[in-house]
Amino acid sequence: MVAMTAARILVVDDDTALAEMIGIVLRTEGFEPVFCADGAQAFAVFQASKPDLVLLDLMLPGKVGIEVCAEIRAESGVPVIMLTAKSDTSDVVRGLESGADDYVVKPFNPKELVARIRTRLRPTQTTTTGTLQVGDIEVDVAGHEVRRGDARINLTPLEFELLLALALKPQQVFTREMLLEQVWGYHYKADTRLVNVHVQRLRAKVEEDPDNPRIVMTVRGVGYRAGSS
Amino acid sequence: MRGLGWRTYLPRLLRFWRRSLQFRTVAITVILSSVAVGLIGAYMSISISDNLLTSRSEQVNAEAARANLIAQQLFDDAPATDETNPVELATLGVSVQNAIASSTTTPGGTGIALKRTPGQQTQQVLQPTSSRNFPDEVVTVEMREQLAGSPGEVLLQSVMLPDGEPGLVAGSQLSVPNAGVYELYLVYDLSDAQLTLGFVQQTLLLGGLALIALIGAVTYVVVRLVVGPVRLAAETSQKLAAGQLEVRIPEKGEDVIATLARSFNGMADSLQHQITRLAELSRVQQRFVSDVSHELRTPLTTIRLAGDMLYDQRESFPPATERTAELLHTQVQRFEVLLADLLEISRYDAGAVDLDLEPTNLVRLVNDAVDSIGALADERGSDLRLVAPGGYFEAEVEARRIRRILRNLLGNAVEHGEGRPIVVTIDSNATAIGIAVRDYGIGMAPADVEKVFDRFWRADPSRQRTIGGTGLGLAISLEDATLHEGWLEVWSDPGRGTCFRLTLPRERGVPISSSPVGLPPDEPVDGIEDAHA
Repeated sequence: MVAMTAARILVVDDDTALAEMIGIVLRTEGFEPVFCADGAQAFAVFQASKPDLVLLDLMLPGKVGIEVCAEIRAESGVPVIMLTAKSDTSDVVRGLESGADDYVVKPFNPKELVARIRTRLRPTQTTTTGTLQVGDIEVDVAGHEVRRGDARINLTPLEFELLLALALKPQQVFTREMLLEQVWGYHYKADTRLVNVHVQRLRAKVEEDPDNPRIVMTVRGVGYRAGSS
Repeated sequence: MRGLGWRTYLPRLLRFWRRSLQFRTVAITVILSSVAVGLIGAYMSISISDNLLTSRSEQVNAEAARANLIAQQLFDDAPATDETNPVELATLGVSVQNAIASSTTTPGGTGIALKRTPGQQTQQVLQPTSSRNFPDEVVTVEMREQLAGSPGEVLLQSVMLPDGEPGLVAGSQLSVPNAGVYELYLVYDLSDAQLTLGFVQQTLLLGGLALIALIGAVTYVVVRLVVGPVRLAAETSQKLAAGQLEVRIPEKGEDVIATLARSFNGMADSLQHQITRLAELSRVQQRFVSDVSHELRTPLTTIRLAGDMLYDQRESFPPATERTAELLHTQVQRFEVLLADLLEISRYDAGAVDLDLEPTNLVRLVNDAVDSIGALADERGSDLRLVAPGGYFEAEVEARRIRRILRNLLGNAVEHGEGRPIVVTIDSNATAIGIAVRDYGIGMAPADVEKVFDRFWRADPSRQRTIGGTGLGLAISLEDATLHEGWLEVWSDPGRGTCFRLTLPRERGVPISSSPVGLPPDEPVDGIEDAHA
């Protein structure tokens, strides 16, 4: 865990003034920022600095943020928060589909940014330990591991938390708003597309047939619930 | 049944008559040519029948005269004895009859009768004879009288034979030696002539009908040739008007139709060119606004972060710097709202807005909106009331946009409400849900009411603004309402306040028949008097 040392945050943004300002905010809040202004080098910097979280601008020279995000996701489950000037549907959804955990729309304020970062760095605390069963997969709560039989399923921390939230209360139907509050830490009305996109990503990993889900079930008109074990 | 059919078909026919030039032209042509063909046919039919009958009666006349001659000769040649035996006389009658019968050549067969002219006293009497089936009733008393007055002539008379066929009776006088004057009647059946006439008339009728049909068909083809291109031009201009700027009329030949097509296409070309140019201009401008807004966001984010950092530490600054930090903070926020509104408007202008519909309870939504503005209203001393007689069901709307409209309307009401109560009414009917926000504040003059949805328009520029509106709020609200296929209307009266009414369809795609809430809401709410009444 990162609780003892300062969490390292990679800021990928071509606007140096903004990057520097974000750095000041992060340092004030006790984080350790690392910078990269070029999309083409972002992945190399990521590998070298091994950050705990990435703040990624969607509009980058060299390479668009969406590609960088996909590159990082292919290798690691490190939380990625997109910085976007566009709240238009297609851009946000493409960013989320490429693996970003959350997004912040410019202009944001320091508190908003820090709140988003903290939520992603500090997983929800659960008192439950041991193993939960959802459908034919096992969720090892303490070990942060998901297995189907002997095969380990690789989930990002966010996907793990999403699955855990559902698995902890198998009888409960979660609305998108409930999941936004529990998993993403939004206490006000937020973008439900976050939930939709990540449920799809989760299903792609845990379901044997994503078109006919048995682990993350849709409850029409309400939300989602865990499949019966 | 028939009356009903007539009543329904007649208006339909009349409508068709009014609407179709082709139908009208063909119908008029057919009607006029029917009249002409009818007149010609009638004339021909009459003259043919005249001719036919005249020639028949001449034939009959000649034959009757010949028969009379034969008969007279037979009688005259008979031995002229005083004591002619009545039996012989009778035999003579029969032989006369036979001689005549064998002499007739006219088709249609003849009946022969020999009748004694009444009122004579003679030595001997020839018994009247007649051929078999002679129709006695065709020889009328009048004819006999007439015949008696004209010896030596053949009288002809048209009659109706007992079997219903037309016939001709020819009568003439004979003088039989010693037996006085007798009348010879010959009856001719004219049914063959009638048959010929009928055939001719039938042929005329059929020919006439065929001619009319042919004229109708020819007219149809000709009119089609002329109307077709005109109709094509009409259809093409309709398509053009509907926005299909690339449609053109095919140009063929050198005639007047081709000229029409060429000038039409020329007009369409110039229209398309102009519209494309304007659309391109407008697109470039929208794109520019959108780009500017986006480009502004990154530096604004930096400014905002910096401003907030300073604002958080303002207490450690000297008073003047502290106030500066505060001003920076609030004005950056205002700038941000303005930018967001500008971006939203540019999205509407670019037509790049999608509705994200979900079932929403509008009463709850209104309640939330009223609650969220409650603190501000309290500050101004306005009492917010919600009257909700209806609308307790889920409607398909995009909650975010409706919430934005309500926030705007409520904000305006508080801003201009002068601390008087504000009444929010929500009601529904079969097709719509209406939400009205009424304040009892200063109101607006009619000229101002017209401009209320204009961008950056302010009710009273001299008035101090405390709620940082951007001047785009109502313009965006109107776009939001229109996007929902709803209405946003305003009523205002100086001194009596203002009422905005939002009407949304209950079901998407079902047009609103009327708003369930009056404008302004009709029922007076207790405890509120008109400000200056």
